[in-house]
Amino acid sequence: MGLRAPLRPLLVKELREILGGRALWAMLLLLCPLIGYSFFQAAALYGEASSASSDSPVLAHGLSPLDGVLVPSFGAFYVAVTLLFPFVAIRALGGEKETGALRLLVQLPYRPSTLIAAKLMAVLGAWLLASIPALSALAIWLMLGGHADGFETLNLFLGHLLYGLLVGAIALFAMAISESAATAAIITLAFTIGSWVLDFTVAGRPGLLAWISLLSLTQTLHTFEQGLLSIGLVLGLAAAICGFAALAAVWLPPGVPFNAKLVRSVMCVLAMAIMLGAATRVRSSLDVTEDRRNSFSITDQQALARLGGPLVINVHLVPEDPRYVDLQRNVLSKLERAMPNVAVRLTGDRQTFAASAGDVAYGEIEYIYSARRETTRSTSPREVLPLIYGLANVELPSAVATDEYPGYPLTAKAEPALLWFFVVLPMLIAVAWWWTRRAPRINPRYVHQGGQP
Amino acid sequence: MDGMPLSMVRPHVSARYAGQPSEHGKRTPGAGAISRNGLLQVTGLTKRYGDDVALSDVAFSVDAGEVLGLIGPNGAGKTTLLETVAGLLPADSGEVAWLGRPLPPHRRRETVFYLPDGVRPYQDQFVAHVLAFFAAVYARSDAQVADAVAAVGLAPVLAKRVQSLSKGYGRRLILALGLLTPHSLLLMDEPFDGFDLKQTREIAQTLRQVLGEGRALMLAIHQLADAEKVCDRFVLLSGGRIRGAGTLADLRARTGLPAASLEDVFLALT
Repeated sequence: MGLRAPLRPLLVKELREILGGRALWAMLLLLCPLIGYSFFQAAALYGEASSASSDSPVLAHGLSPLDGVLVPSFGAFYVAVTLLFPFVAIRALGGEKETGALRLLVQLPYRPSTLIAAKLMAVLGAWLLASIPALSALAIWLMLGGHADGFETLNLFLGHLLYGLLVGAIALFAMAISESAATAAIITLAFTIGSWVLDFTVAGRPGLLAWISLLSLTQTLHTFEQGLLSIGLVLGLAAAICGFAALAAVWLPPGVPFNAKLVRSVMCVLAMAIMLGAATRVRSSLDVTEDRRNSFSITDQQALARLGGPLVINVHLVPEDPRYVDLQRNVLSKLERAMPNVAVRLTGDRQTFAASAGDVAYGEIEYIYSARRETTRSTSPREVLPLIYGLANVELPSAVATDEYPGYPLTAKAEPALLWFFVVLPMLIAVAWWWTRRAPRINPRYVHQGGQP
Repeated sequence: MDGMPLSMVRPHVSARYAGQPSEHGKRTPGAGAISRNGLLQVTGLTKRYGDDVALSDVAFSVDAGEVLGLIGPNGAGKTTLLETVAGLLPADSGEVAWLGRPLPPHRRRETVFYLPDGVRPYQDQFVAHVLAFFAAVYARSDAQVADAVAAVGLAPVLAKRVQSLSKGYGRRLILALGLLTPHSLLLMDEPFDGFDLKQTREIAQTLRQVLGEGRALMLAIHQLADAEKVCDRFVLLSGGRIRGAGTLADLRARTGLPAASLEDVFLALT
């Protein structure tokens, strides 16, 4: 009897455990009004904007269902995953730990890593179940005649999936090192709500604070919400999920001495740090948006890709300056994706916004290519790209007529959706909960004549 | 035996110790605890919690086909000893060997299965599902599940959730799970807790049947009357130290109380 037991019974057991608890069902019931109201509000606002755009085609071009409906609807799901999903995930291990059943579990012929992997699979199953209200919002949007681009939507779903799995892995790790579910919940919420604190307090600050703000879990989701599929980010998230799961596996067996667990944990953290470091070096990303908002025009992308030399950009702005935010969104992030070798230096990162007022050079952006340099204060690609082509001594690419993003205005009545989210879906969830609670049909072969009382 | 799961190495079932003549005479407290043909040998086991010594230089063995009773009052270190032997608690020092070969903690689960006291596993699941899970893990047939259900009288509660079971049925479920495991040695913590006199006899009979399958049992029991009826040999534990070990006849001889009960012997030695 080595460690060769079949996986299926373990997976079935874990799924039954997570479905058997009330936490998942309570979360599902809470998700219905949360997502329902978010969707209703988003659809109503989108409808108002669409009405305004009926007289102006230019306004209509800017109407993207990704920003207008999908991101806000899934935003409510994100809030629930941040605040409620830890309790669901903790239960995957907490029940066994608190009742002492863990002592039975770790004696079964499975490796600790297999046990944690099975629990993570169950957490994934729970997350998929919890995503039903959000997916139903998407379905209603399509039924109302709304548009949803497949790649954009799948990318957004992938982002939420990875975020959910990361929260689940952190929760499993927290439960593995805690004696009670309450302590594990506090640890997990310290990660998730702590990310909000990082977002509010140190995001946009210079120096070390800027680096610390990158540790925020919520920042990871923003990239997907912007319609970018960043390979490095996906790899980094996968590394973090595997890392926390590995740490949970290290701390799961009660028979391993504390010092040995500590040494293994340090090795896990080092491996995770190396993988995260490697992931940050992967700069490939795909702009999956239908309106290509994260890219320059196709001809500019091709022309910039051919510029092999290093482009150095010295930005004389502090990170919290709105002009820097504009520059980052409209120029820098697109250049970093389009060109193979771009280095951005924030020369004003040690200043504060207020202290920079008397500096005459403040606001200047210097572009250096092939030992030639130009300075501008513009944050618009219409001025910056010709400047870069000039530095590289290449001709401006000729504009090619492409299908312009049409925009998808829709004025739809979303009131019926409220009936679905506030009445029908909660009832269906209640029925599903009852169905999981019903007594099972007993295998008749489990009771032979000797089995009768 | 390298590469071969230890549980595949089935021990020869030796004659039970009960009723066998034993050597009398002057002995150390641990004498009689170690048997040369033991299935499991524990030597020098020590476990501390900070400055508190929970187990001190504990040594004993379990022979094939016997029921070894680990006897001691509450707080004697019985549970700590069982969990340390099962590899669920790290020991500070000491060795555990299986058939004479060292058995590191991470391989204990290949030969030894520990059934803890007071555990109500998988509370939200149905009894039948819990049994089916263990049966699937250990590739047990439906007939073997039925045997286990019948052996502990679990049939009336198969469709109930674990959390709704009485203390007695909860204990029966744990026993049934133990019966479904293939391990050569079962460690049970207070297996009769929650049973009345009649039920205790039934369960004791069931445990005896387990021995017929070539397995051995080590039972931690604080009810000395129960232990005396069920166990072949005893390890008396108090304050984390072994105060005596052997058959009841051995222990009577050591205390010089030829007609004493296990309770009298225990009081005389501790």
